[in-house]
Amino acid sequence: MEISGLLAQTLNGVVIGMSYALLGLGLSVIVGLMNIPNFVHGGIFALGAYFLLSIFWAAHNFWLALAVAPLAVLLLAVAVEMGLLRPLYRLGHDYVLLFTFALALIVDQTLIIIWGPTALSILPPDILMGGVNLGVINYPKYHLFVMVAGGLCIVGTWLFLDRTRYGAIMRAGLEDPDMVSALGINIKRVFTFGYGLGAYLGGLAGALNAPIRGASPVMSIELLPIAFVVIVLGGLGNLPGAIAAGIILGVAQSLVTLFWAEASSIAIFAVMAIVLLLRPQGLFGVR
Amino acid sequence: MVELTRRDFLKVAGAGALMAGLGPLEVGCVAQEARDVPILGIFPYTGSLAQNGPSLERGMALALEEEGNRVLNRPIKFVKRDSETKADAATRRTEEAIDSEGVRFVIGPWSSGVALAVSEVAKRRKVVHLFSGGTEDISGKRCHRYSFQWASHPYNACSIVVSNFVRLNPNAKRWYLFISDYAFGWSIEKYVKLLAAQHGVQIVGVDRHPLGEREFSGYMTKAIAANPDALVTATVTLDAVQMVRTAFNFGFTPQKPIVLTWAVGDEIQPLQPEMRENLWIGMNYFYQGVDTPVSQAFVRKYQERFGQPPDYPAGAGYAMTRLLLSGIKKANSLEPAEVVKALEGIQLNERESLIGPMMIDPKTHQNLRDFFFFRCKKKAEMKDDLDVVQLVGKGRVDLPADIIECKDIGQL
Repeated sequence: MEISGLLAQTLNGVVIGMSYALLGLGLSVIVGLMNIPNFVHGGIFALGAYFLLSIFWAAHNFWLALAVAPLAVLLLAVAVEMGLLRPLYRLGHDYVLLFTFALALIVDQTLIIIWGPTALSILPPDILMGGVNLGVINYPKYHLFVMVAGGLCIVGTWLFLDRTRYGAIMRAGLEDPDMVSALGINIKRVFTFGYGLGAYLGGLAGALNAPIRGASPVMSIELLPIAFVVIVLGGLGNLPGAIAAGIILGVAQSLVTLFWAEASSIAIFAVMAIVLLLRPQGLFGVR
Repeated sequence: MVELTRRDFLKVAGAGALMAGLGPLEVGCVAQEARDVPILGIFPYTGSLAQNGPSLERGMALALEEEGNRVLNRPIKFVKRDSETKADAATRRTEEAIDSEGVRFVIGPWSSGVALAVSEVAKRRKVVHLFSGGTEDISGKRCHRYSFQWASHPYNACSIVVSNFVRLNPNAKRWYLFISDYAFGWSIEKYVKLLAAQHGVQIVGVDRHPLGEREFSGYMTKAIAANPDALVTATVTLDAVQMVRTAFNFGFTPQKPIVLTWAVGDEIQPLQPEMRENLWIGMNYFYQGVDTPVSQAFVRKYQERFGQPPDYPAGAGYAMTRLLLSGIKKANSLEPAEVVKALEGIQLNERESLIGPMMIDPKTHQNLRDFFFFRCKKKAEMKDDLDVVQLVGKGRVDLPADIIECKDIGQL
């Protein structure tokens, strides 16, 4: 095996993993803060991609579409949280769980009703068409852009959570929502913001990946298990864990393609199984 | 709110996954009339080939409507079930339809592996079964009297694709193969390798990928490192869309060609015209390029009804239903055994068949028919959004005796 092949696949894995990390980070915020295994998170990814396509078709501006699509997902998620999820909190966890499952099915069918059953594609913007010669491989510019943009978003999210007062409140909410509430902080508003932030990150992952993965009604079903694997592997509610887990999974998937292509799609689940056997709380989890 | 532990989370996530796996229940179940003729369409409405189910259903429905939904002066009941693109679901629902609806004629499912499982049900329950797909086993080593293959034999398909592609791309001498890792892909892989060698083509690498693969950048990185002249694939539907999209992003196309040896047709529209440049596609049927009178009328009716042209699944659903009804009328009987005998050796001419002259080989139940090879048009060549391909080759070859694995099709 040539070292160039390994390097190329590792780079590939980091690019894939950055998208997984962004998706998983969004779910980790929601799960950690609100204890909701948000089954609609795959649908949120899909909505990000579909919104990007629709906005692009209307405005013919990729960058505008990339900026607006995740915001549209955020607004939708905030409306859902305030209007539909919030009344269920007092009924208990099972109701919220079932609601997000129902919501996932509704989103899947809505995608078909609005955009049709056929998959859709979009080209990368002209400036990011073609490849860059990295020595070991001529690598697509857009894939590198996704890696950098995803990384910047993750860093931005991290800085927000780590360096701002509201971020501190959210981190406290991740640790102990009841205590935050007891301190006189409006925890409902924190939940709404957290759900919106998680949805924004998931929608951004979908929008960024639209020129790579396209948009199809089944993508929500395809991405949801990956998002769950990321947060189980990284540790529930552990944000750095989600980031590391996403990248580890991407690299594992890519390297398995090199040696045993037939097993590429089960690689991420195998990694999760091994980690759970050796470290049940996840790589970085404490509970 | 209640604290969610890791163990709780795994439990609820598992329960959710189980609920998702159950999928939708049977569709289209209606009370049986006393004298109707129930015909089962077992198609994928969910699962990895879910987008093909509605097309199959539409094609079948149009064929039934052309006959006034009647055969031998009895009303036809179109019984629909979801195969889920899973062998267990498809066999369970086929058995259920046989028991509860009195089904004696089955059309579908779509995936080769799923169809082989349904074929075993047809054999055991002695019901007539028509299928269209890439596995050679239906009319090969797992042949029997009750199952029929409408699609081209994969050897025939690969012969038409390889010979025409080599003719039109004489400098593409090093091929890399992407193969969908199930019965369909294995059949195509075997014959592409065989025929490529006969044409002096070197296979520089083969990767088998799981059905439902959506992440092809790893495969593409590996393939590009082998510096092939062409990427030849047995990859269909969304997998193929994703693969072609990735190849374009990696700059493989349009500089170098990609061949979808056996496509469904729904791979074309999801791709931007720029992504389709230098994409070559083999198909059993498509609305462009197949200019039989039956096809012209079918395309017109389908577009009027559904606002879009038919793809291969729609054509297959339509043609298999017409073939079945032809067999029933020829047999003048609704007894499966009599219909089987009528279908064996049945010949349809240019004016009767969607895809031109065809004959069901009585020894194997393989449809002996043309296969079609297309080149995707460049954006500048397209008259409109539906003008997407140009027919560059079609035909039928005799199957060599040594590749025919159905040595004894057995008894009724």
